[in-house]
Amino acid sequence: MEPTKTAAVDSRALGESVVNRVFVTVGVYLIAGVLLLLGIGLQLTGAINNFATAQNMLNIIDAVSMLGIVAVGMAFVTYSGHYADLSVPTTMAMTGYVAVEMLKYGFFAAVAAALLVGMVVGLINAVAIGKFRANPIIWTLAVNYMSMGVIRLVWVNKQIYPDMTASTVRASQMFDAIFRLRFFGRIALPMVMMIILVIVFQFVLRKTKFGVQLKMTGAARTPARFSGINVELMIGIAFVICALTAAVGGLTVTSLNRVGAWYNGEGYDFRAVTAVVIGGVTLAGGRGSIVGVLGGVLVIGILNNILTLLGVGTFSQDMIRGAIFIVVVFINARSLRKMGRDYE
Amino acid sequence: MNNDSKKGRGREKTLTFIDRNRIFLLFGVVFLVMALFAPRFMTSFNLTTIMRTTAMNATAAIGFTLILIVGQLDLSIGTIITFAGVVGLGLKQYIGYGGSVPIAILAGCAIGLINGLLVAKAKISSFIVTLGMLTLLQGAIYTITRGNSISLSSPDAFAVSDWLARMIIPLITPRVVITLVLVGGFTVFLRLTRVGRNFYMVGGNRQTAWLSGMDTDLYTIVAFVISGFTAAVGGVLFAMEGAAATLNLGNTSLMYVISAVIIGGTAMSGGKGGVLKSFFAILMLDVLYNGIILFGLGNEVKIFIAGIILAAVVLYEAYTRYKHDKTVGQRAELLKEVDELKERIKTAKHRAAV
Amino acid sequence: MSDQQRVVALQMKHVTKQFPGTVAVNQVDFDVFAGEVHALVGENGAGKSTLMKMLAGSYDDYEGEIWIGDRQVNLHSPAVAKANGIAMIYQELSLASPISIAENVLVGRLPVTGLGLTDKRRIVEDAKNALERVGLGHLDPDMAIEEISQHEAQLVEIAKALWNEPGILVMDEPTSALSREEVELLFQIIERLKKEGLAIVYISHHLPEVFRIADRVTVLRDGKKIATRAVAEVSRQEVVQMMVGKSIAEFYRHESHATETETLRVENLTRFGFFHEVSFSAYEGEVLGIGGLSGAGRSELGRALVGLDEVDHGMVFLHGKRLRISSMSAAMARGIAYLTENRKSEGLALRLSLRENVLVSLVPRHTQGGVYKQSLGEPKLQELIAELSIYPPDPERMMNNLSGGNQQKVLLAKWMAIEPRVLVLDEPTRGVDIGAKSIIHKSIERLAQQGHTVLLISSDLPELVALSNRILIMREGRLIREMAKEESTEEKVLLAANGEGV
Repeated sequence: MEPTKTAAVDSRALGESVVNRVFVTVGVYLIAGVLLLLGIGLQLTGAINNFATAQNMLNIIDAVSMLGIVAVGMAFVTYSGHYADLSVPTTMAMTGYVAVEMLKYGFFAAVAAALLVGMVVGLINAVAIGKFRANPIIWTLAVNYMSMGVIRLVWVNKQIYPDMTASTVRASQMFDAIFRLRFFGRIALPMVMMIILVIVFQFVLRKTKFGVQLKMTGAARTPARFSGINVELMIGIAFVICALTAAVGGLTVTSLNRVGAWYNGEGYDFRAVTAVVIGGVTLAGGRGSIVGVLGGVLVIGILNNILTLLGVGTFSQDMIRGAIFIVVVFINARSLRKMGRDYE
Repeated sequence: MNNDSKKGRGREKTLTFIDRNRIFLLFGVVFLVMALFAPRFMTSFNLTTIMRTTAMNATAAIGFTLILIVGQLDLSIGTIITFAGVVGLGLKQYIGYGGSVPIAILAGCAIGLINGLLVAKAKISSFIVTLGMLTLLQGAIYTITRGNSISLSSPDAFAVSDWLARMIIPLITPRVVITLVLVGGFTVFLRLTRVGRNFYMVGGNRQTAWLSGMDTDLYTIVAFVISGFTAAVGGVLFAMEGAAATLNLGNTSLMYVISAVIIGGTAMSGGKGGVLKSFFAILMLDVLYNGIILFGLGNEVKIFIAGIILAAVVLYEAYTRYKHDKTVGQRAELLKEVDELKERIKTAKHRAAV
Repeated sequence: MSDQQRVVALQMKHVTKQFPGTVAVNQVDFDVFAGEVHALVGENGAGKSTLMKMLAGSYDDYEGEIWIGDRQVNLHSPAVAKANGIAMIYQELSLASPISIAENVLVGRLPVTGLGLTDKRRIVEDAKNALERVGLGHLDPDMAIEEISQHEAQLVEIAKALWNEPGILVMDEPTSALSREEVELLFQIIERLKKEGLAIVYISHHLPEVFRIADRVTVLRDGKKIATRAVAEVSRQEVVQMMVGKSIAEFYRHESHATETETLRVENLTRFGFFHEVSFSAYEGEVLGIGGLSGAGRSELGRALVGLDEVDHGMVFLHGKRLRISSMSAAMARGIAYLTENRKSEGLALRLSLRENVLVSLVPRHTQGGVYKQSLGEPKLQELIAELSIYPPDPERMMNNLSGGNQQKVLLAKWMAIEPRVLVLDEPTRGVDIGAKSIIHKSIERLAQQGHTVLLISSDLPELVALSNRILIMREGRLIREMAKEESTEEKVLLAANGEGV
């Protein structure tokens, strides 16, 4: 038995008040700001071109809006204390396939079918993890593989094209427009969707019964249960939300690529978790905000943009992102350790 | 004490035996079924193919088994396999296999060491550490190779490749031998040495292990190093035999290895399981998948079934825990009178209904 | 066992252990002879566990002397304690469940052959020998701990401790999970160990057992030793008197505000294996005490009343109407609440703020159309902070930063916030300083005054007796006694909890 220690007041812990919470969220945007300044600085020194243009800024947001859609859904899973949903990539791909197939019944049928796919996957996760407490990493990983199998079974290696399956030209055009529709000539639909989702989800997280109860569930599962919260339901809903946003993300990616393919969605699981963690939603659960996640997404976007303009290859960017992830988590690790949350 | 009769105890013992050795029995059953019903299963060519595919994952499974035994998780094994293959082959033109292979394997150990240190000393959960490492390595692999697979065409590369693939005796190629030696060696180590047994205690009850004088942090770190080592060996061997290292060499390995190790009886909660069991589990899965293909069902069915097996295994473990938790804390004395109580309730209900 | 042959195996002289703010063990003298079972009894907080931890080597800063045989030792680490022949058996077994009996018993010291490999034959042999000593010679040492019963596992734990050939064995509540027969078997083993010359310290709440197995008994209270007596020369009554002491004036009896209006009625409530056929009524304005030893099923009963655990049989009535409670939120909606005994692991979200912890119970009530208005709870929050003198009164402060007493107040505030008709309190002042305790007591009384019904589950006897109107006693899952206010004294409650004088 270890010698008992008297509870010391942790000076770090003293800081975890509203001020600190706001600071974390603001902090992300500060980092984004710093990166912007860095980009401008690099442009001034001639290292990169065309960074500080409106076009480039919109490019950045365009590039990350799909990630943003997925990340704000993933945030709910992390917020609930269940780390991440690793079945997102195949959910996205499967959604794409199903939507393209269903275009033969029209655009709205396709969208409805896509959301249905998300719903089903979300429910499967909800039951296994929410009710039976399966390890979320391993389980969603398994679901990912199962979905990959389903994709292989049904479509083998085929890629299917919307313009070929669509019942009408109109339907195909509408599907195309998911990614390409521009408001005021410049603002793309995915961007709009992301912003709407951020606003709605932020509201849900802060101001609804679900969000508040989810926070308690993520911060302390058993006390939440002992306070009358239906934790299984909370966790289940979080996973359903994540799967649904993955479905929407899948629609956008498929629209972008103009093809239903098994690689739509590749990499989104990890990139989304990185954005979520950078955005202040700690892996321990019960802390963070959707606005912060948006900041995280922007940080990733700006960083990628700068690196691309500098000529750094995409794979190197992956590596850098991995390193950033580890660093951010390391900083977070103290709070993880304090909470004693560890997956064995 | 126990009201069990001798017969009851005997039956209990059989059940325990079956439960403990279930993977060997399962393997036997699956093999038998395939042998009897799958066309062309029992050909030398087919069986050799099975052995060859098994070897890579089986080697990585050795380390992964150890990781689970000490109660941790290593999600990076897939990328370590690929990384080692890429390094092993990529450096060959500069320093030959004699130089590149040891470097590749050392790299695997180094990665394992980093993982281990972050988990044991920095106290970050193994899931996060290995997930981060996974991405880092992925990026590194792509950066080094610039997105191209490595495939060698020099005569000596082929010579090595042939040598590795040559059948010494039916079914056994040198690569298989290396795998079997590693499996055998680690099985003996974990089953029959004091240090090996200590790993189980570290995973079974960390506190007790510590109090019995074991440096639990060191054991954890060593487990990760071994995991890196075996993954690297698996990757390098496979790459050398095919004289090619594709970028998704180890991609499916994680799923394979996790399913196999858990099916084989090594629990995620730590403290139990074994290398031999994992080996047979991998064999069984490969026989199963092989059979599926032989039956004419495509690759797709195989992947689907692989996913379902993993999901089923995970759900089964979760469900048993769920059921068990419900009964924690029951008083023995009270349990004894439950049947009698139930009777009384029934008769009371009966009487009330009348 | 004649006096001349007695060898003192362990002697603790004037040992003292202080913690910030409290003296847990105060100048205690304690000794054990070889071949004796010396029981250590006392209420919660009396200092038993601290004294035991001292023996285990958990503290490096105690005062006083500890002698093993004729050597003085400094038990500053668990390793030293072990090296001096002290073996501890805790309630929480140190065994690893997936691992075999043999490897658990021989942990860290598996016999090896000349080749360095583990000697399977000797492992089994040694394990069997160890198991023989505790009457488990018939077990297969290869079986995993998870494959044997709880009772057998406990004996394995003892076998493991014995393997080191200790001179002193310390057992902490060894019988809490055992059936009557298993207790008998354990006692047989203990008798055998006595004859072998082992000195055994037996810590327990259960007086009947103490009187059965111990030779001497030492009573601790408030960190001090009250007395040491030979078991044959003292009665249970006397022991209880010593444990309980005289009631201090500050815990004056509270007036009862109980009315005739029945709020809660429970009929034959049963949860198989936890509590059977419990029936009682509770009234408006009443503080109904529920006493009993730990493990009697009181917390389980409380949890069942609010739907946290399922119920196998029986009925609950609220104001005469049948209640079917499927979940805790349903219970809360009907006005029944439960305050858990584990404030840190089950009661509070330590990483969240004071405000969030208190208002979480009000969330359903302050939600309209899915939208939750936190500000609605603000007045109530301020009111409760003031009423309970929660310090620091900063609603933003993280719960982690509050003292135990204040944390408990927050927990209580959470449940007071919803103004339940029936509030079940489980150990509401455990680990709480005197100031907070009295504030909580005042609040409990106020609740009763206002007409609420309070079910007070408590092991703190003065508190139970002072606050309660009637007291129900539970023992081994059954309700065995109801005590009226006039006849309840701390001694009577403790005796009844132990199955005496029923």
